[in-house]
Amino acid sequence: MSPRLFLHLLAFEFRAQLAFRATFWINALAGFVAEFGVTWFVWSAVFRESGKEVIGGYTLDGMVLYFLSVVLLGKIVSGREFEGAISGDIYEGTLNRYLVFPAPYTGFKYAQRIGFLGTAFVQFALFGLAAILILVLPPGNVTWASVGMAAVTTAAASVLYFLVDNIIQYVAFWADNVWSLDVAKRFVTMLLGGYMIPLSVFPGPARGVLEVLPFRYFFEFPARVLLGEIAPGEWAKGLALMAAWGTAAWVAGRLLWRRGLLRYTGVGI
Amino acid sequence: MIEVEALAKVFRVHKKEPGLKGSLKALFRREWTEKPAVKGVSFRVGEGEIVGLVGANGAGKTTLVKMLAGIIHPTFGSAKVLGFTPWERDNRLRRQISLIMGQKAQLWWDLPAADCFLLLREIYRIPEALYRETLDYLSGVLDVRKELNIQIRRLSLGERMKMELIAALLHRPRVVFLDEPTIGLDLTAQRAIRDFILEYRRVHRPAMILTSHYMEDIQRLCERIVIIREGEFVYDGPLVAVVQRYAQSKVIRAHLRRTPEPVQVDGDLKALGEVVSCSPEEICLRVARAEVARASARILERYPVLDLAIEEMDIGTIIERIFRERGEVGGAGGA
Repeated sequence: MSPRLFLHLLAFEFRAQLAFRATFWINALAGFVAEFGVTWFVWSAVFRESGKEVIGGYTLDGMVLYFLSVVLLGKIVSGREFEGAISGDIYEGTLNRYLVFPAPYTGFKYAQRIGFLGTAFVQFALFGLAAILILVLPPGNVTWASVGMAAVTTAAASVLYFLVDNIIQYVAFWADNVWSLDVAKRFVTMLLGGYMIPLSVFPGPARGVLEVLPFRYFFEFPARVLLGEIAPGEWAKGLALMAAWGTAAWVAGRLLWRRGLLRYTGVGI
Repeated sequence: MIEVEALAKVFRVHKKEPGLKGSLKALFRREWTEKPAVKGVSFRVGEGEIVGLVGANGAGKTTLVKMLAGIIHPTFGSAKVLGFTPWERDNRLRRQISLIMGQKAQLWWDLPAADCFLLLREIYRIPEALYRETLDYLSGVLDVRKELNIQIRRLSLGERMKMELIAALLHRPRVVFLDEPTIGLDLTAQRAIRDFILEYRRVHRPAMILTSHYMEDIQRLCERIVIIREGEFVYDGPLVAVVQRYAQSKVIRAHLRRTPEPVQVDGDLKALGEVVSCSPEEICLRVARAEVARASARILERYPVLDLAIEEMDIGTIIERIFRERGEVGGAGGA
């Protein structure tokens, strides 16, 4: 797919998001407040009740800053509102439209997905900063270099998440509706990716396993890179592992896509 | 431009017994059945030709169109569209074809048509000048210039279908698949779309395959039709030849001068053919083709005829009869 078409698709989807002004602002505000608010209250209570000053290597401020980064970057990585779009196309038969276009479907959907992230970017830029100022959070080890590294990591994580998610989406060629698989995937990735609890609270051997699984690279890794907690060597190793998982997911996705199209009937709602 | 050879598609569908018991049983053991949708259909379509694909619901028309547009794979058989195998989805082919499905919106619901067209310009890499010229021409002919900046979901069904047509033809495809393009439209919109398709064909000479349940669409647009019944090939040839081939009779309608003694349905009249209706003003008889001249002469001779008309059977009725009379009409067609 040409970069020009990719950018055009991205802008096109962003325009579609802006078509509903009220929905845009409600999603942006409510999505952030609900998720981050709950996390803040829960961890404040955990620290208060346990009487501990440090849990899993984090103070309360550090924990709040970690979750603020995870929630905001996680929304960009997972593109949650766009999840289910591919299986929906297969189930409803709207895939027909894309199969006639002289453009690769996967590229088409990825560009649309990035364009769909308008609310996530607004949340990151606007509410993230507001939360830091309101809660008077310390900046931690955040530097311009860590911000740059985090931007690269988040972009890579977004691609990796998309490729892994596609494997589940393509199951719709066989199972029609993969909503329950989507829910299971979301739970597993959030739990094992450091979105629900920091991975540092897992026991040592489990942490070793989680290091090599792809899940931490969706949420925990980009957040810790942003907070300046990842050294350049470890960062490079992490990116290499992401590339390996991405390649494996891409190969598996292509196989499922090809086999799936042989079964596709193009019928739907 | 389109060559179809013994193309067939068999769907494997899940069978479920009705009720809760059936649902529970299906959780553990599923029964599958093979449903042939298209059974070895062959035909060709040349440049500038509009071929009507005619068949009842479930005859396999849309399945056939989906295979030719590259959306689904056939179970067996082969097809070439502009020299390419459609289900291999080569971009060189996809840039030259178009699919319009009247029952399924192809455009993006929440954006104005103008935005959708800009995206299609990028997808098909249409040069700016050509895009402007084509959009201006299509929106002018279809009379929707004022609606270009309105969200698709706020347009009427007719306007939406016109936008779908523009979207499908912006890149000037050489092959166009029209699946029920006038479905649900009012008579005025149907007529406008038919006129437009004919005009587009005159100017650009694409190969077109049209499926429609409206006989008016078929009669106005297609010189040639392919009839399929339950996935099987029935007929391929000129529309007018269907009448010659399948209509075994004609209708003689005689308008009569009023006489003191009204016309009676007697043995003589019955001997001429099937009496469709008989009143003091009119006799209507269905007569075997070979008997038309003799029956007309006899009516003129025996009754006070003011005016006499010999009518062919309505094409819609003939095709409907072909759909109904499974096994009675069949065999390979001409063309």
